[in-house]
Amino acid sequence: MKKASKISVLSIIVFICSIFWLMPLLLIFINSFKPYNDMLQEFLALPKSWSLNMYIETWTKFDFPLLIGNTLLYTICTVLIIALLAPMAAYKLARTKGKLSGVCFVLIIIPMMVPFQSYMITLTRLVANMGMTGSKIGYILVSTGLCMPLAVYMIHGFVKNVPIELEECACIDGASKVRTYFNIVLPLLKPILTTVVVLDTLATWNDIITNQLIVGGNAKAMNIQNALYMQFSAQTADWEHALPGIVMSMIPSLIFFVIMQKHIVGGITAGAVKG
Amino acid sequence: MKGKGKTKDLLIFALFVFPAVAFVLFSTDVPFLMNLYYSVFDWNGISKDMEFVGLQNFVNIFTNDALFWKSTAFTLKFSVFYVVIVNVLSLTVALVMAKEKKSSSVGRAFYYIPYIISLTAISLIWKFILGPGFEALYQVTGWEMFNWSWLGTAKLAFFVVVIMTVWQNLGFYMVNYIAGIIAVPKELIEAAKIDGANKFQVLRKVTVPLIMPAVSICMLTSLTFAFKLFDVIMVFTKGGPANSTISVAYNIYKEAFVNNRYGMATAKSLVFVVFVLIVTVIQLKVTKSKEVEA
Repeated sequence: MKKASKISVLSIIVFICSIFWLMPLLLIFINSFKPYNDMLQEFLALPKSWSLNMYIETWTKFDFPLLIGNTLLYTICTVLIIALLAPMAAYKLARTKGKLSGVCFVLIIIPMMVPFQSYMITLTRLVANMGMTGSKIGYILVSTGLCMPLAVYMIHGFVKNVPIELEECACIDGASKVRTYFNIVLPLLKPILTTVVVLDTLATWNDIITNQLIVGGNAKAMNIQNALYMQFSAQTADWEHALPGIVMSMIPSLIFFVIMQKHIVGGITAGAVKG
Repeated sequence: MKGKGKTKDLLIFALFVFPAVAFVLFSTDVPFLMNLYYSVFDWNGISKDMEFVGLQNFVNIFTNDALFWKSTAFTLKFSVFYVVIVNVLSLTVALVMAKEKKSSSVGRAFYYIPYIISLTAISLIWKFILGPGFEALYQVTGWEMFNWSWLGTAKLAFFVVVIMTVWQNLGFYMVNYIAGIIAVPKELIEAAKIDGANKFQVLRKVTVPLIMPAVSICMLTSLTFAFKLFDVIMVFTKGGPANSTISVAYNIYKEAFVNNRYGMATAKSLVFVVFVLIVTVIQLKVTKSKEVEA
């Protein structure tokens, strides 16, 4: 009996902590409705009014339509290219034996072994040499390239468990290889593809480092994270605008999380092998 | 006839695989090779003349670069704190969450949410809490700890970085541990209990050995994360105060983009890759040898 109660004490602590875990986010939320003086004087209190004035002001002052538009464009392009190319490559690599296939596979998964920080300098250089610094296309290419290795790796692992007989049937029926892939194989890859899409959506939406490196200070091509960082990370931040900005930048991720929770959590465990 | 089929196969292979390879070549493989090339030059990244210096950059790193070793010390210290704290906490939380099935999904989500929020938001949130937030709390409570300069003192800034990264990433490890714990066969735990083992013995002798795959994944990812610590530093502390929170990766970044010592930065990148690889290999060997099959 004694031991049972001991364990439940631990459970209670863990559950209470889970509320504390969200505390920083809750504090940001309630303070985002206050004028600066109220933040300092009634930090823990609920705001006097839930007026959206500061939200609207931030939205127009910092050109949120452009920022959100850019971030959406980046996320959609990256995810679409990944969803098209990664399964094609992963499928063919898993089904083809031989030197060429082996070399291609290694080329694709090298980035999973070397840390991004070790080549980001020369990557920035390469993008600059190609005249794509500050451009949207340059950023989309890099962002897609960085998402590719894990996507191919995860799908590659999955393809190995897809029965090869199905494809053979299709071949005997006279379907071409490309059609076999799109009609038979791709639908079978749906579970792992969903996971990949979900992970890459979050990664691209939340990206700051790559956008910093490739787009830098070009206001036209910044994503929302980079813009918030450039605007508000100075010593004396303008918190009255920063807090609504932070909340607005988080809302899409949070909604996405609530809808896709199962896939996100599943995807994390599937992708965790990445070193 | 046969040759023709082979060419066709090759064409189809190229159609399927080469686009993906091209993306990775561009974003990683080529930059990595450029790294090897630049690392033997003395170059500021802009000017036309690059002076070939052979291995001098590498010699400089090991003999004449106090900041690099300071950043190495910081990274090692951070790794120890981060790996221990995040794994102990997330395993504890996971043990509770895995058992309480119904009530735990909301709790799990609460722990997990910081992990899906962007680093920009995270670092601004903590800046706000440690700045205006603590100022307000100090006025209400009068507790001295709210009056400390958390980001302005070297020792405190270190702990802020540890606490913030643990806070953000705990959910990730928790999810992995929960997956491992759920996979442990119930019969084994029942059998141990019937044999008279108490809760702690069950945990130590049955559960932990069986979740070693999850442990090794979590240890490995947390260790490599700690070694590669960069984003948080770049966005949050910028290495300050007084260079006390400079990580190795951030040191490399600064060398290239602030000090304009390109050749040196690329040489450091290579040393860094070797560090990370060595740690990864050792870690894999150690944890793999401890894994048990159910």
